[in-house]
Amino acid sequence: MIISKAILDAFIDDHLLEQDNIRVEKAVRESPELQARLSNIIASRDMGDHSIGAIWRREHLSCPSREELLSYQDEALDHQRIDYIKFHLETVGCKACKANLSDLNPSNSFEVDPAIREKHLQFLENSKVLLPKKS
Amino acid sequence: MLNSPKCNSPWGLVHYSSSLAKTICIFDQAAGYVFRKMIMVSLDENLLIEKIQEGDQLAWSELVLRYEGRLTNYAKGKIKDHASCQDLVQETFLGFLSKINNFDASRSIQSYLFGILSNKIADLLRSREKSRTVENPVDSSGNYKVSPFIDPAMGASTWYRGDEKRKLENLALTQGLALLISELTQKKEYIKLKTIELLFVNALSNKEAANILGISNRTVATYRYFANNFIIDNLKELDLSPDVFPEFSEQDSDS
Repeated sequence: MIISKAILDAFIDDHLLEQDNIRVEKAVRESPELQARLSNIIASRDMGDHSIGAIWRREHLSCPSREELLSYQDEALDHQRIDYIKFHLETVGCKACKANLSDLNPSNSFEVDPAIREKHLQFLENSKVLLPKKS
Repeated sequence: MLNSPKCNSPWGLVHYSSSLAKTICIFDQAAGYVFRKMIMVSLDENLLIEKIQEGDQLAWSELVLRYEGRLTNYAKGKIKDHASCQDLVQETFLGFLSKINNFDASRSIQSYLFGILSNKIADLLRSREKSRTVENPVDSSGNYKVSPFIDPAMGASTWYRGDEKRKLENLALTQGLALLISELTQKKEYIKLKTIELLFVNALSNKEAANILGISNRTVATYRYFANNFIIDNLKELDLSPDVFPEFSEQDSDS
């Protein structure tokens, strides 16, 4: 496997297919040259440079909307669109859409646990001090 | 190539929309020419941001409630320790709030929050990794070690190009990609979209993408060529050089 810049870019964003991710991670651990290339890409990103893949992933450009994911769950879309969203979730492995889909399932509500709910309310209360002051 | 919509008004005229994105024409006096800005947020999101910028506590609660679940699920996909997930999500919100007055309204809140969270997860995983393998960044003389592979000239062109220029290039690339995806979606050319997504997002080779999709290498190469040209044409329309994105000159060797 030749490790191109695009592959390293996708590796940084955790967007490689599982097998590729394992291979690249192993190669990076073993190669100081790959580690340096990885550092260079990260430094270049910090300065504002982005590849096509990085921009696509960062802006979630092909991600379906929440409304569409809801329709996908209910199979209320045309079959081509359903097939594409399935591909986006399962083959591309979009973690943001998987997180959204899981969030749309009421049984997965994080607020069910009273301890988590309490922590959430506490956070809301504490974070209010950081809000800009009303003019 | 598919034609992109033309701007005909200098002040915020929505002239293109889809489920994926809305494009607004904006006249940028500083840059001296018209460019189109991708707006991928709904209006109520903008209103929410405005209210938070004014110090509205209810709007802040609404934003946290709206995004907390999906962010927590995203973190759980990467970190098994659920308490850490919740901490990272809360830190994400605090990071967002601390920069709320500089929030770029052209960005989607969701993408922005996922971006902050991804960085926090990466930092956490890196720190856990480092605690397992103790590193010694200085040599015996007390000087910082420098990898022999790091190119000292790295990023010179990046520095030279300056912040505003880079922003414009990234914005133009985002716009070009969004237009491409939107057009393919509207025309239901999903096989083309799937191919391009595997190539760009998952960084697969032509051969790997062809195997997954059950199409020929040649077809994949054609789709890659089509996508590159679409984006290059879009950059040229905005008087930007595609040379700053090296991917356009890289050709897949197994095509």
